[in-house]
Amino acid sequence: MLDLRGYGWMLWQGLELTILVGLGAMALALVLGLIGAWGKLSRARAGRWAAGTYTTVIRGVPELLLILLVYYGVPTLIQDIAEGAGYPFIIDINPFVAGVITIGFIYGAFATEVFRGAFLAVPRGQIEAARAHGMGRALTFRRIVMPQMWRFALPGLGNVWMVLIKATALISVIQLEELMRSADIAARATKLPFTFFFVASLFYLGITIVSMVVQRRAEVWANRGVRRA
Amino acid sequence: MAVAQREDADTALRVAGLCKSFGDLEVLRDVSLAAHEHDVIAILGASGSGKSTLLRCINLLEVPDAGEVHVGGELIRMRRDRRGQAMPADRRQVDRIRARLGMVFQQFNLWSHLTVMQNVIEAPVHVLGLPRREAVDRAHALLEKVGLSDKLDAYPAHLSGGQEQRAAIARALAMEPAVMLFDEPTSALDPELVGEVLKVIRDLAEEGRTMLIVTHEVGFARDVSSRTVFLHEGRIEEEGASRAVLDAPRSPRLKRFLSGERYGTLPLDQSSHNEGRSGP
Repeated sequence: MLDLRGYGWMLWQGLELTILVGLGAMALALVLGLIGAWGKLSRARAGRWAAGTYTTVIRGVPELLLILLVYYGVPTLIQDIAEGAGYPFIIDINPFVAGVITIGFIYGAFATEVFRGAFLAVPRGQIEAARAHGMGRALTFRRIVMPQMWRFALPGLGNVWMVLIKATALISVIQLEELMRSADIAARATKLPFTFFFVASLFYLGITIVSMVVQRRAEVWANRGVRRA
Repeated sequence: MAVAQREDADTALRVAGLCKSFGDLEVLRDVSLAAHEHDVIAILGASGSGKSTLLRCINLLEVPDAGEVHVGGELIRMRRDRRGQAMPADRRQVDRIRARLGMVFQQFNLWSHLTVMQNVIEAPVHVLGLPRREAVDRAHALLEKVGLSDKLDAYPAHLSGGQEQRAAIARALAMEPAVMLFDEPTSALDPELVGEVLKVIRDLAEEGRTMLIVTHEVGFARDVSSRTVFLHEGRIEEEGASRAVLDAPRSPRLKRFLSGERYGTLPLDQSSHNEGRSGP
């Protein structure tokens, strides 16, 4: 058995934090993704423009840079502005919140594309049939479109989740003791980098494997009513 | 040229002066039509004659550029947006009127994430606010009528095309519509499945339901419909009692259409949509 020199508990807590950041960010990404897809498919030019800018900017800038920008850059900017206006104060962003917001914001852009594709994959005729039976737009979306969107969105969202959970390692740069940073601290203190980085990779792998199982189940559920070839 | 009929007490549906263009293409030119209660009106015409568009304008799946649609004496109110484009003045009114018009599509358009039973109760429960139990009872009766009592829990993907279309008819009937609209209900079916769907529609006609049927099946139109309307390039070219119009057409275009139809242009219209899913 690997000797973790008493750092096992710390790694475990890091794992918990990683999962929490991941789930929080994913929830935010789903919400932003739905809003973004709605904007992209909107008839209003402003909606399309806002959503287009969001996905282009987010996907075009490195994640690490965005994390540093949100955690260090934004508070400083706000403080400078406040000071200039004569109201000096100190902003201290909680690294957990900063991590969730930044990661969620980044992957919301990817989720936007997934949801947009999923919406377009729902057969138009079924939406027409709903409208022809007197269902309004909101009811049609809730009862007919949404349940079918999951089927088309799940593979893409699963992919977003896998990339997202690994991207949480990046927020170790903002002093949050998630799995990556815990492993790093332990490795430095014990001078056993292989042991701790190896264990950390097993943990990440574990999350991924569990996620794949969950995703498989979810896809079976979402594909009920679909004939398998 | 058809003249707008006067509103009678038993007029179930009336359209007057309907016009619709897609870009530069004029699809409907001043079409007027009235269906009294218990009328079964067949709408015939070549591809591109505007017959499907006419049907889709009645429940506003397409918004007509000009003209009036009255359902059960109620006019669908229209207005114009800033660019002069016609649009419904009150979306709620449109939803309410659509709930009174049962639409059956060429491609069935059953909701694929719901079973047959769920498809049939969906709109009665969520649009009409019918208690679930009542909707289920109603669905049982309707599905028995269309011969699908053994397929209640099947998903659409596991049905043949004929079964799908019969389920779609039950779904439309579950709203207890004042008028049924059929948009080429058998055109996407394999030939051997056409009969079972036509039989269901024929039964509905015999019950005295008010129906508008866009179809290619001339023989069926002659047997089942009381009146036939023949569209050509977006205008009503000829209309009248079905037997009279179809057995002794006056307009040369209808004559040509009927002879072409009899000598088998039909297979060209068969959609390939249903390939490989016809059998149980």
